[in-house]
Amino acid sequence: MARKQPIELFMPPNMLKAKVGGGQGGLDMAAMKRAEDAMQALEGEFGDWIAKDVEALTSARARYAKTSDVAARHALLRAAHDIKGQAPTFNYPLIARVACSLSRMIGELPPEADIPLHLVDAHVNAIMVIHKHKMQDTNDKTAQALCAKLDARVDDVLATAKK
Amino acid sequence: MSEYRFDRLKVLVVDDNVHMRKLVTTILQAFGVTQIAEAESADRAWQSLRDSNPDVIVLDWVMEGMSGLELVRMIRSNPQAPNPFVPVIMLSGHTSLDHVRQARDAGVNEFIAKPVSVKTMMSRLVSAIEHPRPYVRTGSYFGPCRRRRNIHEYQGPERRSEQSRQAAE
Repeated sequence: MARKQPIELFMPPNMLKAKVGGGQGGLDMAAMKRAEDAMQALEGEFGDWIAKDVEALTSARARYAKTSDVAARHALLRAAHDIKGQAPTFNYPLIARVACSLSRMIGELPPEADIPLHLVDAHVNAIMVIHKHKMQDTNDKTAQALCAKLDARVDDVLATAKK
Repeated sequence: MSEYRFDRLKVLVVDDNVHMRKLVTTILQAFGVTQIAEAESADRAWQSLRDSNPDVIVLDWVMEGMSGLELVRMIRSNPQAPNPFVPVIMLSGHTSLDHVRQARDAGVNEFIAKPVSVKTMMSRLVSAIEHPRPYVRTGSYFGPCRRRRNIHEYQGPERRSEQSRQAAE
């Protein structure tokens, strides 16, 4: 059967290479060192940044508790997703783990299924506790047990919803 | 040691989170990039593309309004896009293989799963400079060739046709 449209494959000129040069390729170690130093200087602000993310999550939770419409559900998912992506960068991997569980639940539940608010609260409260106590050690046994319990509850909710 | 002239690059950073924008711009500035434009939404980015005509775009996926993925599709296929070949590095909290495939299929060049690190940012930038992919135009896709890393996954005839791609997947 003849093709309806030919498939073109071509290599455009490498304008980036022409601009930046760099004969040997590979990572620019000096630039990376400067960036690591700049990141370290920025770390002092991470505490405020994660606090704002936690605040955004609690606001989204309050909005969803008041009006559980599509927009509020979407806002809650956004807040959970954002904190999941950002918390590890801001040195709060445990918060990311809990937010990952929360965003998995909201994202994988069928749109017609209600999000169990008590389980949202369990996640949000856990995140607030981790933040309040500045728990940054992923080896903390209590935190690990809590995360495992939240994961298991989310598994149950998803399994029930998908039956 | 490579000593790239990053100061010659124009980069557009698109993220609706001000802190992530600051983090990314801080890293880029430390690399030596001096011409950095920022946009807090994909819509704003689309507007500013014609003014700034960046050499590289660093783009978040999930944003209010138009998503990063939709913006990439516009950049690749809209006749008003100033440079449909511009390399796009996508940042995302999505980490599953399915999401990486979606990004690839939209026309993303490089993918960074958050958290953002200096090393990953540098390696994706260097990859865009040193290992650009060929571009492909089919009936339903225009963008970087999606088979750079999986060139052997389908060996039948018309390897790049849409039907064959679906069969391979």
